[in-house]
Amino acid sequence: MGASNPVDAWHLSDDPKVTIAAENIRLRYTVQRSERRSPLRRSSRSSVTGPVLRGVSLAAREGEMVGLVGLNGSGKSSLLRVLAGLQPATSGTVVASAQPQLLGVSAALVPDLSGEDNIWLGTLAMGMSPDDAYFAKERIEQLAGLGDAIRQPMRTYSSGMGARLRFAISVAADPEILMIDEALATGDASFGERSKEAMHDLITRAGTVFLVSHAAKTIEEMCTRALWLDRGLLVADGPAEEVAALYRYYAHSLAQNKTDAAAGAIARAQDSFPPIALGAEEQ
Amino acid sequence: MTRTPKRPETRGLRSQWRRAWSTRQAGDALLSAPMRSELQDRYGSLSHLRRVGSRPPLREYATELWDRRHFIWAGARGEALTKYSNERLGMGWFILRPILDAAFYWVIFGLLLRLGETSSNYVAFILVGVFMFQLTSHAITGGATLIRSSKPMIRAFAFPRAALAASLVLRELFVAFPAMGVMFIALMAIPPHELPTASWSFFPVLLALHTAMNLGFALLFGWLGSLLPDLAQAMSFATRFLMYGSAVIFPIERFIEHPTALAIIEANPIYLVLDMYRTALIDGGAPPASQWLSLLLWTAGLLTVGFALFWRDEERYGRE
Repeated sequence: MGASNPVDAWHLSDDPKVTIAAENIRLRYTVQRSERRSPLRRSSRSSVTGPVLRGVSLAAREGEMVGLVGLNGSGKSSLLRVLAGLQPATSGTVVASAQPQLLGVSAALVPDLSGEDNIWLGTLAMGMSPDDAYFAKERIEQLAGLGDAIRQPMRTYSSGMGARLRFAISVAADPEILMIDEALATGDASFGERSKEAMHDLITRAGTVFLVSHAAKTIEEMCTRALWLDRGLLVADGPAEEVAALYRYYAHSLAQNKTDAAAGAIARAQDSFPPIALGAEEQ
Repeated sequence: MTRTPKRPETRGLRSQWRRAWSTRQAGDALLSAPMRSELQDRYGSLSHLRRVGSRPPLREYATELWDRRHFIWAGARGEALTKYSNERLGMGWFILRPILDAAFYWVIFGLLLRLGETSSNYVAFILVGVFMFQLTSHAITGGATLIRSSKPMIRAFAFPRAALAASLVLRELFVAFPAMGVMFIALMAIPPHELPTASWSFFPVLLALHTAMNLGFALLFGWLGSLLPDLAQAMSFATRFLMYGSAVIFPIERFIEHPTALAIIEANPIYLVLDMYRTALIDGGAPPASQWLSLLLWTAGLLTVGFALFWRDEERYGRE
């Protein structure tokens, strides 16, 4: 396989390059039904399938901070998992300029090891040499800001502390594409400020950040662009402030059972900020 | 394919990743024509894009694995050291457990059944069998749950997953070192005392081959276990079966008369390596060349097959 792009050709130019592109991603889930599960009779009736993503196309370029909004179950996390290559899509293509680093809500890395040892292990896992890892360690500890808790086993950490540590490790690796799935929601205010700085630093160095958050306000404040997912379809793709504001109005209307107002908000978003829907059109 | 130049570490992770990434399947051609032209109009060249979630070619995979050697070492060391961290006696168990094991077999077979003083030192036979078999049985049972138990690491970081299998085997080796020390002391201390001879120098060579074989087992069962999660439930049975099929606690030649069955057991790589350990440590002789050859072939075969199968499904391990 010929490596056609020399490493040095990559630079932050005036016209930013595309870092990740996805075309017509479809994803169906298949769950084995719990009752009458016999391996000998695995007929089509014994499993349930349903669509999660129904043809999503998008592209992001360097220097962008993309927020994903949508109700629970609209497919935000699934989309990130597919974009990161962790979950193969049922159909569709994802291409990227680098391996995306996904930061999700998950358990401790190695629960019995201390935070320090987990930093060491994580940085080495990403391919740092021991020298680099040694210098990165201090930066990570500072960014995570866990104090003395860094020396305690990670299984004693609260979910917020675990998220901080994992975020700090991921950012220290300087990924070109970072995807954050609700992981920052558990952090406190002081950490929110520091993580915001770290992410801005990342995108000024030609990175792309994807951020999933249920709080549309976070998206409004932090992102440059927002995608609105509704039941597996991309509804809107536009400036973060406006899309997120429309989404907030939509969610607010739903909460008060004003379905007409909610439908109006969706329609307005769709009209004003249509997503690029090349592959997904009429398919 | 040209050999990639030595990696300049000072240029940081990004360039390192980008170089590794550039060996993946080219991606721009996978997009449909309208999408491609639209993106090209907006953002220019797309030639730097690669398909996400594709595995690297075998050779690049091996290079990436080699780059993770520090990770493998650190993971094995860290997990070995914290193995007994929940216990009150902590690290003491590294010595205490093998001592209890050895004492158990000595009391039962040496003192009660008085098998130790027979012509073939039976207590030594069992000690070598049980202590060295543990390395393989742990590699197999650990391999079956490898992907499942490493989910948080797999989800958080991109690295060749075979590093997890290597880490597992190395960790078991670290844990086994104190046990081997106890084994040697027991061999010398329990009558009839087996004193060190020149043939004991075969032990490190055997151990190296044995460890490579265990890596093959861990990769193979790691792959199988991710394919068939139910395997984890069958593991206790499988290791028991292997234990009796590999003459771990009783000499199989005495009980099996059928030549075919005997031949099958003698071809079994675990029996083979245990028999060679015993020849070197108890009988004080050099294992015959034919056994060395079969062990080498088994090791190479298991490693090749295990590695190839594990690599083939690399994309699948991150799935929920």
